[in-house]
Amino acid sequence: MTVFKAFLKVLNQCKGTVILYSVILIVFGALNMQTNDNSTNFVASRPDVLVINHDEEKGITKELISYLKKNTEFIKVEDSEEARNDALFYRDVNYIVYIPRDYRADVLAGKNPEIEIKSTGDYQSYYAQLLLERYMKTTRNYVDICRAEDGSVDETALLEQVKSTLKKETAVETTSKLDADKLGRLSRYFNFMNYGLLAGAIFTICMVLASFNKEVIRRRILISSMKRRTHNRLLLLSNALFAVFLWAAYTVIGFILCGTEFFATKQGIAYMANSFVFMFCAVTIAFLLANLIQNKEALNGIINVIALGSCFLCGAFVPVEYLPDGVLAAAHILPSYWYIQNNETVKTIETWNFETVKPLLVNMGVILAFSVAFIILANLLSGRKRENA
Amino acid sequence: MANVIEVKNLTKEYKELRAVDDLSFEVRQGEILGLLGPNGSGKSTTINCILSLLNFQKGEIQIFGQEMKPDAYSIKRDIGVVFQDVAVFEELTVYENLNYFCGLYVQDKETRETYIDEAIALVGLEEFRKFRPKKLSGGLLRRLNIACGIAHKPRLIFLDEPTVAVDPQSRNNILDGIKMLRDRGATIVYTTHYMEEVEMICDRVMILDKGKVLAQGSCDELKKLAKIEEKVTVEVAKLQEAILEKIRALKHVEEVKYEDGVLSVVYRAGTNNLVKLIDFLETEAISYSKIYSERPTLNDVFLELTGKELRD
Repeated sequence: MTVFKAFLKVLNQCKGTVILYSVILIVFGALNMQTNDNSTNFVASRPDVLVINHDEEKGITKELISYLKKNTEFIKVEDSEEARNDALFYRDVNYIVYIPRDYRADVLAGKNPEIEIKSTGDYQSYYAQLLLERYMKTTRNYVDICRAEDGSVDETALLEQVKSTLKKETAVETTSKLDADKLGRLSRYFNFMNYGLLAGAIFTICMVLASFNKEVIRRRILISSMKRRTHNRLLLLSNALFAVFLWAAYTVIGFILCGTEFFATKQGIAYMANSFVFMFCAVTIAFLLANLIQNKEALNGIINVIALGSCFLCGAFVPVEYLPDGVLAAAHILPSYWYIQNNETVKTIETWNFETVKPLLVNMGVILAFSVAFIILANLLSGRKRENA
Repeated sequence: MANVIEVKNLTKEYKELRAVDDLSFEVRQGEILGLLGPNGSGKSTTINCILSLLNFQKGEIQIFGQEMKPDAYSIKRDIGVVFQDVAVFEELTVYENLNYFCGLYVQDKETRETYIDEAIALVGLEEFRKFRPKKLSGGLLRRLNIACGIAHKPRLIFLDEPTVAVDPQSRNNILDGIKMLRDRGATIVYTTHYMEEVEMICDRVMILDKGKVLAQGSCDELKKLAKIEEKVTVEVAKLQEAILEKIRALKHVEEVKYEDGVLSVVYRAGTNNLVKLIDFLETEAISYSKIYSERPTLNDVFLELTGKELRD
């Protein structure tokens, strides 16, 4: 109890920093949750289009304008070529269609009149082009068929056929039963928790251990009648208790912010298990660092480098899909990468069975392997220190 | 009197350097043994070997009649150590520090509280119980360091230069406390390079240099090794070389020096040397402002044994 009490007293001196890290986690975690993740939602896109018609607005030409109007946003731009070019440059318009004079007559005559276009070249303009080509091809096909059958074209009947064909659409249905939006937020919070756990747990444990490992204090403990192992065990237990408390606090905050309904779900349990394993890994990193470095100022700097570096490299701050392949490949050597990969996987799992859970277990295994490696390194270092004495 | 510590043929080497060289000595129950020697003489290394904080190449160490080992926890219960460097938690108050370090020995809370109160009273920190170390002066910090080492009422106490960088008032307070501990029955091993402290509190002194014992005994016994009887110092404005020659010719005079208006005369034997020198100066009509006599110090002993000053 004496050791635990002293641990708490020393820990008390670090409370300001722990609170600061927690506030950063909550504030930035909450801000991060505001960003929308649309990876599982479908919204039809409507490009901005400008139509310049040099033909009479009737028949096939009228129907073309009507079709484009229905499927795109028509934009009004000043009637000058310079203004149109400016509109394209500033992305006010994605696509400009110039319908030539006698377009209708040429199509009905079986010709293939050329429609001039101007485009921004982005995906919106490709969609506009797709619409235009679809209309032109459909119209030409029906004209060809009519002309092949009886040599003449009934424009009214042809337009009926074209309209009926173009009406056909592919229905898109989102089959996921998960509240993808909320789950995405929870996932982003747990990704961000990577920073809270690394910075908070490592900082506090390192600072406390730096006090206990100070050479003069260590010697005083060594010459005491309390067994070294007993003292180390009590200190380890105190650190573990603190780490579990920190993890529990951050987890509860996460569920409160993102949706308490997930707390008892398989997804919620998976997030908790993953972060618990990662918290254990953070504790082992703290033990290794405390063995390596005694200087508190140096420790503070190194902890920030580790916490922030891991978060940026592994996708805690920036979504994984935006990170370059090279960065992600390098991030494999950090436990945070496997932790964040698990969070990203959890939000996509629909059916829970051994096959779907297996990748999570493998990643947790990798995190635990990192932890074991850190423990071995820490023991080797402290053993070498004892030998040198 | 039983021996509390017995050290036989202790040798500790650091690569090329032999820090402790075949050292043998014992510490008797209830005495204050002073380990005196210049920096690097092997005092702290010897203590660290005795406490099993350092491995050593050769030798045997027994404390309370049992072999001292890193896991000799029953022996450690009765040992208290005050290190040269202040070893306290900056984050804990005076009382919390004492509670932690005493708690490493004494599990019972009530007994511990009594011991802590006694330790605080012994070093005079009653008014500073809730102070953190940063708020304490250098002297008070040293006192806290001592209290942390002795709060569990050990029977054997090692004090490794506890008065380094301490003001005179705190030093006297610390030395009085050490004597009080001895009077209560503790055996004390006290290392220092301040010979005045050794003369004030130690029952027996061991002079170390280059890891070896040069001499040991009581202060009076050691001073006899200095081979001088008395040193007379005179502050005098001007002296001719002829006068100095006459002083050198006086009976029992070993050495005469005159520098910066200070005449120093060392006598190897004789009685009433001071009176005889005053008579000589009056006869020669030499006026002086101050004259005093000193008995040989442990520094003179060290000088005699090694040819160098203790503080070199």
